[in-house]
Amino acid sequence: MILGIPFSDIVFYVVAAFMIVAAVVTVVSKNILQSAIFLIATFIATAIVYILLQAEFMAVAQVMVYAGGVVVFMIFAILLTSHLGEESFKVHLPRKFIAGAIAAAFLAIMGKFLIGQPELATATSNASAEASTFGAYALRLLSPGANGFLIPFELISLLLLMALVASVTIAKKDEDKEEK
Amino acid sequence: MTLLNCLILAFVLFAIGVFGLLTRRHLVGMLISIELMLNAANINFVAFAHFKAADATAGSLFSIFVIAITACEMAVALAILITMYRRHKSLDVNRLEDLHD
Repeated sequence: MILGIPFSDIVFYVVAAFMIVAAVVTVVSKNILQSAIFLIATFIATAIVYILLQAEFMAVAQVMVYAGGVVVFMIFAILLTSHLGEESFKVHLPRKFIAGAIAAAFLAIMGKFLIGQPELATATSNASAEASTFGAYALRLLSPGANGFLIPFELISLLLLMALVASVTIAKKDEDKEEK
Repeated sequence: MTLLNCLILAFVLFAIGVFGLLTRRHLVGMLISIELMLNAANINFVAFAHFKAADATAGSLFSIFVIAITACEMAVALAILITMYRRHKSLDVNRLEDLHD
């Protein structure tokens, strides 16, 4: 407790502020590689929020899949295709203004709905402490019963295999069509 | 930390993602913005599972599925992007009008 505010709240506010700053830098940065690095920062801050929400396995999956996998893959793609001048991606001011207006309108509408619901600010956690541990996830994912997620789990594994084969097929060098 | 705080954080992140998706012209930049939006949706899932759900395990399991599908989407999207770069020497979306040839 610092100044009557619980410690987890302080951590949440600091992490949330950091996350928003990192996300803004991600979006407005001219250098696409810098933008990918700040995306990693955003994802790690998200993992901290998951830990605060007692979803430890989600935090581990977030760091492993997003920060460790997706963004590294993305950085590879950026480096493989980086012979582009940054000045070729200039966006004109009206377009930026319209995009900002759309984003601000989204925020205003969502904010209006959220502020109108006082129970959101007072809701306390009703999840049991074991609800989002690794064991609970594994039991639910692999149980074939009415509450289990066995079929989606198998479909996801099939989908991952398909995506692997498809991306190798798309990206592999096509020797005879190379000079097209 | 209340549910309201988490939702506001998620919506701010989502709005930043929308802004990025609309202003970027670099294909990788647009993908990064989509990642930000998916991340915001995941925060929503986990926050509702923690505060409101009758079944918290099922609530946060959905974000596991979102993460898996995002990984697939990124793999295919980046493969398409590398092929596109090889053929057009450009990743500017405004120059990809000749996609039909």
